Amino acid sequence: MLEILIYGAVSSAIYAMLAVGFTLIFGVARILNLAHGAFYALGAYAAYVFTGVLHWPLLIAAPLAVLLVALFGVLMERFLVRPLRYSQLAVLMITLSVSLAVEQGLFITFGSEYRNVPSFVADKISIGGVDIGGQRLLALIAGVLVLLLLWLFIQRTRLGAAILAVSQDPEAAQYMGIPTNRIFSVVMAISAGTAALAGVLVSPFLTVQPTMGLLPMVKAFAIVIVGGLGSIPGSILAALLLGYSETIVAYLISSSWTELVSLVAVVVTLMIKPSGLLGRRAAF
Amino acid sequence: MKQLSIVDLSGAIVVVALLALAPVLLNSNYFTGVLTVCVIYAIWAASWDFMSGLTGRENFGHSLFIGAGAYTAGFLATVWYANPWYSLPTAVVVAVAFSLIVGFPTLRLRGPYFALAMLSASAIMQRLCLIFWEYSGGEEGLYGLDPLIQSPLHYYWFVLAILVAAVAILTALAQSHWGLLLRAIRGDEATCQAAGINVTFYKIASLTISAAFAGLGGALYAHYQLQVSPPLFSVVVSITVIIMVYVGGIGSIYGPALGAIMLTLLTELLRTFGEYRLWVYTLTLMLILFFLPNGLIAPLWRRLTERFR
Repeated sequence: MLEILIYGAVSSAIYAMLAVGFTLIFGVARILNLAHGAFYALGAYAAYVFTGVLHWPLLIAAPLAVLLVALFGVLMERFLVRPLRYSQLAVLMITLSVSLAVEQGLFITFGSEYRNVPSFVADKISIGGVDIGGQRLLALIAGVLVLLLLWLFIQRTRLGAAILAVSQDPEAAQYMGIPTNRIFSVVMAISAGTAALAGVLVSPFLTVQPTMGLLPMVKAFAIVIVGGLGSIPGSILAALLLGYSETIVAYLISSSWTELVSLVAVVVTLMIKPSGLLGRRAAF
Repeated sequence: MKQLSIVDLSGAIVVVALLALAPVLLNSNYFTGVLTVCVIYAIWAASWDFMSGLTGRENFGHSLFIGAGAYTAGFLATVWYANPWYSLPTAVVVAVAFSLIVGFPTLRLRGPYFALAMLSASAIMQRLCLIFWEYSGGEEGLYGLDPLIQSPLHYYWFVLAILVAAVAILTALAQSHWGLLLRAIRGDEATCQAAGINVTFYKIASLTISAAFAGLGGALYAHYQLQVSPPLFSVVVSITVIIMVYVGGIGSIYGPALGAIMLTLLTELLRTFGEYRLWVYTLTLMLILFFLPNGLIAPLWRRLTERFR
């Protein structure tokens, strides 16, 4: 029982990090970013290169990985997505081609075999009789911390207020003198950065390979749909729901059924309440 | 409505004649196989374009119908040992059934929601194929289908004939009153509803027609590969089809069909690039997105034939 509680919390934290970035860039810039999984994969590979190959300490490697991927995200938004924003389909296609290009790039540079990232925290910690790897605990703590900081940033700072304003009405925000395009860049950096951090954190205990981004991205989709596209509290709630139901399904039935959970959740949500749990905008 | 001009008709005849004669001139079984795959992709692309291109509802799960058709053919051959010719009509029926099941709940949805719902539906089917591996053959899929026609060349001509029929039917529908309504729905759904048009009926009917041809193509593919496997349901298949439609010129039916043939041939030619192939492919896509936002083939044809009209 306690095992489910802890492992569920760990996967929920990872999912929440992915989903919040995904929903943020959609809510603010209306970009449905199919390259989100690529950011996650890039983060994991950056962790592999910095800690596994170059043997840098984690405290240097992780921020550097996050910064690099955030920069990549900003450049992508500025030069590839922004000129095509007039069409939803074009945005989907361009982000899709970026993700294909990244996947193929990783495949060419690193090959298709699994890469092992040395563990950041070697110790196992026992909580109430359940042994849990330090890695997973680190992922959980970092995830909660990042989400908390992000929430504070959006609710308490001027830049956060500007982001909220743009998400509510981009045109009105522009009239009020908010530089909308710069806000898009900031949000893209946050979105790509959190995805990369999730990738860094899971790299020691999940398989690192070029196609690793696809499934988490489908799950981020699922979470965002269930929680309501564009709603951050909604995605955190949905991440908890999905993280726990997947863990429970894995324990009760088999781990091959876990991926079905999120997909069924999407279809059910879209049928019953398409705007999601806490979404404000109607889906139809 | 716009009538089919002599120029368009003669263009179509020339292209079909070239496609029909190409394998005879090249006389290689390998190349005939490549062309067969090209033509099957063309059927998929044209069928995607009919629903999504006209109504503007991008379907990111077309592989659901393709896989449904292919697996129907697979089950008929390996479980019931039916005559292979039964698989084509059965595949159409099954794909249509799938489109009705999926269409009713999802087609009310707007923009990205419909795309994501379809994407999830096809991903669920792929997972189900792996979970119920006792019945579906799991990763390996189903083996031992019989070819519909023994000679590869004759099979190619058969598939090509189906493509020509499919494009003709879909173009005729798209240029009829029907197609006009579908385009109107793309323009403004609320206004259509206010004008007394049964929007839901037209959207579901167009998805059904689109699924019927996709399922037919799936069964043709199954009888060409002689096996079916879960990747047929994968997102990659749907996305490949969408890229082909985009390159061909969205909403023109013949454009996506030719786009599919061109891109499949391009992928074959790029085999020499080895692992850089996908990069060249994505780079082509990016260039087209930036410099030819309306696609390549259909706008090009329109411009070329402008002065003859």
